[in-house]
Amino acid sequence: MSSHRFGSFLVAAACAFVSMAASAHAILLDSTPKPNGTLAAGHVQMMFKYNSKIDQHRSRLVLIGPDKTETVLTIVADSKSNELDTSADLTPGAYTLRWQALALDGHITRGDLPFTVVAKQ
Amino acid sequence: MELLVDIFGYLSIILHGFTIVAQSMTLGGILFLVFLVRPFAHLLPQGADLERRVARLTIYSAIGLILAEIAGVGLQVAVVKSTVGLTFLDVMQAPFAIAGTIKTVCALLLIPCLGERMSRGLLGAVLPLLLGAAELTAATFTTHAYARLDNNVLLLFVEGLHQFGAAIWIGAIPCFVLALSKLQNVDSWRVVGARFSRMSMIGVASIIISGTIMSVFYIGDVQGFYGTAYGVMVGAKIAMFVALLLLGLGNLLVTERLRKNQDASVIRLRRFAEVEIGIGFTIFFAAASLTSVPPAVDLTNDRVTLHEIAVRNAPAWPRLTSPDHDQLAVSQAQAQLDHEAEQRHQAAAQAIIPGSGVLAPRNAEDIAWSEYNHHWAGIFVLVIGLLALLNRAGVRWLRHWPLLFLLMAGFLLVRSDPEVWPMGQEGFWAAWRDVEVAQHRFFVALIIMFGLFEWAVRTGRLHSPKAALVFPLLVSVGGAMLLTHSHQISNVKDQLLIELTHTPLALAGVSSGWARWLELRLPGRGGRIAGWVWPICFMLVGVILLWYREA
Repeated sequence: MSSHRFGSFLVAAACAFVSMAASAHAILLDSTPKPNGTLAAGHVQMMFKYNSKIDQHRSRLVLIGPDKTETVLTIVADSKSNELDTSADLTPGAYTLRWQALALDGHITRGDLPFTVVAKQ
Repeated sequence: MELLVDIFGYLSIILHGFTIVAQSMTLGGILFLVFLVRPFAHLLPQGADLERRVARLTIYSAIGLILAEIAGVGLQVAVVKSTVGLTFLDVMQAPFAIAGTIKTVCALLLIPCLGERMSRGLLGAVLPLLLGAAELTAATFTTHAYARLDNNVLLLFVEGLHQFGAAIWIGAIPCFVLALSKLQNVDSWRVVGARFSRMSMIGVASIIISGTIMSVFYIGDVQGFYGTAYGVMVGAKIAMFVALLLLGLGNLLVTERLRKNQDASVIRLRRFAEVEIGIGFTIFFAAASLTSVPPAVDLTNDRVTLHEIAVRNAPAWPRLTSPDHDQLAVSQAQAQLDHEAEQRHQAAAQAIIPGSGVLAPRNAEDIAWSEYNHHWAGIFVLVIGLLALLNRAGVRWLRHWPLLFLLMAGFLLVRSDPEVWPMGQEGFWAAWRDVEVAQHRFFVALIIMFGLFEWAVRTGRLHSPKAALVFPLLVSVGGAMLLTHSHQISNVKDQLLIELTHTPLALAGVSSGWARWLELRLPGRGGRIAGWVWPICFMLVGVILLWYREA
């Protein structure tokens, strides 16, 4: 192997070790419920609005209940292009909504949104 | 699979970096072949041989593109399929998978088109160009432009122009270096140099125009530049782009002297071009990382102000004593869990599950712990730079300075992640799911490798000049890693303030590596100057680390 080829190989090999950080791509701009917010018990409409277009069919919303049980929520098919909309019957307690959004450009972002459900007044 | 989403996301960005490199080299190779080698082959004594070699390099690049694309898309498909519970065929209909398939098919079709049978005639030029254009178009559909809420068509075009500029300039430099090394006479160098200068200028213009437009749409204002991760990363890209322009300017001057039949150093042309490849590829990996960060314009809250940057970077004495391990937030959380489990006579849960996406708690002691680590690392690097400088000045017994890297690697392995083995509860293997831990381990591995190689070279244990190149290459890689090193902190502002410190560190690291490369490869005054520059860059890294603050 000539020195030039070896140099090219080393450049290529060097790049093999370069690592990149995975940061959030899609940002949650707005939501119902808000992070650490409160909702009234009953049949609740929920909305998660992002900064980019989302592939709704290939994204996921999981509700973690007060007893830590996980329920996959159905995402409304005709949500706005940058939203994940869903609904659920909720009883009072502490919940976490775990979202995973696939942006149309192929990046996956996920996050947890804790909120509380209180009894209707 | 749930626990692997973060580390797979990180791997997919690495693969995306490889994809950009391979794509740029493929497209750059096609353009070099069609617009430089073939039209001028009759003027070059080794024209036919050069054409074969450039075509072969382009085919290898296309194969690299196919492999990187299949691996990258495969990883994404696997994550979506298993976490959302869809069929393989369903996920393959996602826009990113369709774009990846088109890119792969285009690269596959390119291989026979670049063969010798197709090298003559109009079809031999048009087909590769059309396939390259189709591949480039598909590539733009995996950029921010496609997922934006507005101006998609304009931004897709601008992204395409940006990638075209990168390909015709940086992507074609390996072909240029190949041509310079294979052609043997001044006339040939003159022809190739003059033509490639013009191609590079088209590339530079494309990058500047598209980069400016993207800055307007993705960054928006000045605070977006310094106050967001996206802006800071773009700033680092611009700094490296300026370095490339300076090297390119140096090469342009050589080319002009050649054109005027004056004496000029072709060896300098080649060496500068090698460094351009290295810095250019670093930019490509930064670009891959950039695609995973939200554009600055979208981050309206949690931006950092100049005042906050000034306050964070106010000089303070380095922290040279460490807090106790059991005072750290994760240790206390684990102790609490252990205590509760003991009362219930159950096995204790782990305070942090690597890869769960739940960030570790942090208190003032955690900050002190991290600052202590950075400050001692700074002392190590400062001393290493100083010893290397003294060694260069003639103190021969200081040639053992690279051994200090091993000490530093051991320090980092033990201290970087206190929640992980050997100090914490998390097991060595399970901790690989944590992106930050994985990055720290890569650093440790890199430091050990370049320390050992450099020590062996300096003490005469390794005689090959090629072995000496390992050190500058791995140092450059380490710099590039720092550029994108992330701290998993839930506070976005704190995270950015840390990244602001790591960016100059990274740039100094990359400069150091390539300066050492020039010292080894460039004869004469240029090489000697580079030999003084890189230890100073090391010392600069040490000073910046000593300056580091997390609160």
